[in-house]
Amino acid sequence: MSNTLIEVQNLKKYFKTNHGMLHAVDDVSFTIEQGRTVGVVGESGCGKSTLGRVIIRLLEATEGKIFFKGEDITSRPSTLDDRRRMQMIFQDPFSSLNPRMSVSQIIAEPLNIHHVCKSKEELDKRIRTLMDTVGLAERFTNAYPHELDGGRRQRIGIARALALEPEFIVCDEPVSALDVSIQAQILNLMQDLQEERNFTYMFITHDMSVVKHISNSIIVMYLGNMVEKSDADELFEHTLHPYSKALLSAIPEPNIHKERKRTILRGEITSPIDPEPGCRFAARCAYATEECSHCTPELEEVLPNHFVACHHVRTINGL
Amino acid sequence: METTKKLLEIKDLSIHYFTEEGVVRAVNNIDFELMRGETMGLVGETGAGKTTTARGIMGLVPNPPGRVVGGEILFEGKDLLKASNLEMRLHRGKDFSMIFQDPMTSLNPILTVGDQIAEVIRLHEKLSRKDANLKAAQILEMVGIPAERMSEYPHQFSGGMKQRVVIAIALACSPKLIIADEPTTALDVTIQAQVLELMRELQEKLGTAMLLITHDLGVVADTCNKVAIMYAGQIVEMGSLEDVYDNTMHPYTKGLFGSLPSLSMKSKRLVPIDGLMPDPVDLPTGCPFHPRCPDCKESCKSRAPVKTEVSPGHYVRCLRYE
Amino acid sequence: MIKKQAEHGHIKKRSQFQETWKRLSKNRLAMVGLAILAVLVITAIFADLIAPYPYDEQDYNATLQSPSLEHLMGTDEYGRDIFSRVVYGSRTSLYVGFISLTGGALIGCIFGAIAGFFGGKTDNIIMRTCDVLHGIPQIVLAIAIASTIGPGITSALIAVAVSSVPNFARVVRAATMTVRDQEYVEASASLGGNNTHIIIHHIFPNILAPIIVQATLGIGKSILLCASLSFLGLGVQPPMPEWGSMLSNARTFMRDYSYMVISPGIAIMLTVLALNLFGDGLRDALDPKLKK
Repeated sequence: MSNTLIEVQNLKKYFKTNHGMLHAVDDVSFTIEQGRTVGVVGESGCGKSTLGRVIIRLLEATEGKIFFKGEDITSRPSTLDDRRRMQMIFQDPFSSLNPRMSVSQIIAEPLNIHHVCKSKEELDKRIRTLMDTVGLAERFTNAYPHELDGGRRQRIGIARALALEPEFIVCDEPVSALDVSIQAQILNLMQDLQEERNFTYMFITHDMSVVKHISNSIIVMYLGNMVEKSDADELFEHTLHPYSKALLSAIPEPNIHKERKRTILRGEITSPIDPEPGCRFAARCAYATEECSHCTPELEEVLPNHFVACHHVRTINGL
Repeated sequence: METTKKLLEIKDLSIHYFTEEGVVRAVNNIDFELMRGETMGLVGETGAGKTTTARGIMGLVPNPPGRVVGGEILFEGKDLLKASNLEMRLHRGKDFSMIFQDPMTSLNPILTVGDQIAEVIRLHEKLSRKDANLKAAQILEMVGIPAERMSEYPHQFSGGMKQRVVIAIALACSPKLIIADEPTTALDVTIQAQVLELMRELQEKLGTAMLLITHDLGVVADTCNKVAIMYAGQIVEMGSLEDVYDNTMHPYTKGLFGSLPSLSMKSKRLVPIDGLMPDPVDLPTGCPFHPRCPDCKESCKSRAPVKTEVSPGHYVRCLRYE
Repeated sequence: MIKKQAEHGHIKKRSQFQETWKRLSKNRLAMVGLAILAVLVITAIFADLIAPYPYDEQDYNATLQSPSLEHLMGTDEYGRDIFSRVVYGSRTSLYVGFISLTGGALIGCIFGAIAGFFGGKTDNIIMRTCDVLHGIPQIVLAIAIASTIGPGITSALIAVAVSSVPNFARVVRAATMTVRDQEYVEASASLGGNNTHIIIHHIFPNILAPIIVQATLGIGKSILLCASLSFLGLGVQPPMPEWGSMLSNARTFMRDYSYMVISPGIAIMLTVLALNLFGDGLRDALDPKLKK
């Protein structure tokens, strides 16, 4: 395919800890097409944030390759130009903004680092345009982050990410710290920007309903492994992996008539430190057998363009 | 005890904070009542006054700068606002207790969980250390933690387990009312499902009434009988789940539902509420929601709406229904 | 909550310095501190004009005199005018205090920030060196330095500066470590900021508060340390007046001639007080969060 923007091959990221190797991301491969949004869902500790940081090279991959427009960017040191093309929007609109900097200083930072603007006037004009783009009134130019509410702060974060006109943006839970009415405003803003400028998003979240709303395709992660991957509509129509099913059924929906068949998972996420071979979900899975705890399941195409890593996916779903 | 079914009744309660920047009108003239064994959801966004309401009931409004400026809080017919500090201390933990949002910070890291539960029991019941420990073990079992883990410290528990311990402490003296302030917000969805399930079970078993403070309309749909929607310190809509979810009246409540991405339907665009929560120091005149309201009329800007009963038990504060 | 300033929109840009000054000038205590400091600095600069006598003029007819119109603060055992000596002493004391502290703070901050930011081996090497430095008594350190470069004001300066390095390094390291894990540091890295950029633009502005507190507390200490070095004959050489050495010399006469202790004592106290008031005010003024 010609319009593949990002291709990730067998990506691994391990961290050394006092107790052993922490397998934060373990053998993940996927592609993202230009102008599309891929959603990455999972619970805390599943490696979704690490995955985003490795792709934009805030962290170095332990193994595996990342291609940006066909060029292998893992084989060379990261350049300023990589930074320009790939940006990130952070989760916490409070801690991701330096409290000592005013709104204009924060938005100016990337422009200054990359020496984009020749003169002070050009810089000011650029900042104003960016603030306008994300819907921040000009009167906030000299305000400090703590004077603004969460939604406006997140708009600053978005303006900062847009300043360098990137092609690919990793959004790490950009709306999970916001109130619902503000969350909807920010989601709409991000969608509008994508339509207007053909951005490619990697949208990391734990919220299934948000990911369904914004993504074209979805990756479900559990303890560093990719357990299911498919188009968004397909995934919600035919949820195949037992973990994805549990995740979906655990969401409390604001609907009082829907009788839910709840699958409550037992136990909690196990440790990703030096995991034994075998399916990492086996300990919490209702369908687990002997095989699951010895043999790591491979990702296979169960339905057209719908990949699942589970030994029993066919029997569970009667395929 | 009494035969009345009314456990908690709040009448015209207002709580303000007196700060240098002006009077923060956090809670303004709210009324609601809670029957024995009932669960009510108190829903609102950041700054709506949910937590202040809870603190008001617990008698824990930080003073200064906060003060209850008017109203009554009747617990089993007795006005808590007239109770002395000592009386309030005896009530807390025994008659009503609170579950906090963050299980990481609401447990003392240097005491074992068993000690922390036993401590609450011994505060309110004349039990020997041994009996208190025994009872603590039973309560721990009740929330699904093996009694052997009593002598472990909070850091040895995961987030969901910690929240179970917090619930155990809240339940230690079998209170009649539990106020849960965003009890599952800090947890993962699958863990949230476990904790909510546990709370539902325990409530059925013990008949405890609960005031559940949350921003999540989904959690309310899952656990509550009644729901009150708060905005800018006021209850703008209140009623049974059916009233509020199926027969939504107030434009703010409608806005909240419109802002939620749906799992069952594919929508192209969300319909958010325009604007922001008003500054509680400088509330708009008339209806506090009017600057954001899609159906705002001239009269909304000057006249404050009053509580109107649109159908039995379903109250709305909006001029359209007056 | 949106504060009034943002609401009514001053779009005009003000520099960081102007902002800070505006906030500082509203703090009455800080302004008092600043005024005292100004008086002290002016005294030091124009000591020749202010002092009625030279600092080393001895008058054996008028030794150990109580304060009078002729000698505002009395005279010492050699008949020298104490007021003049206090006025001249402000030169040495302030000079030694400020220079040694600035030097120590600069080195301490750089090493502390490096240790805190990079962690690991670098951190270990820097901090263990600081521990060793901390373990040597300051007087012994000063003796060592004085014996290599000879006694005098320079060796006192160096000794005081070196001994304040570990304190600064430790405070800055701890503060850096908390700021390092903030998301805005990561955000800056994702924008292409290198380590130097991050330390200067994101770490330092956010750890100023503990540095200022440490500095304002430290300056009093360094004036006193300098005094004890002078007392041992390792610092300022007589007859150069210096508050600390005046204080130690007067010790013998304290019982009968208490005014000899009081004058330099008050001078030291005023300096430290003024610095603390000003330092507290500056710390608050630099924090945009406390903007009223």
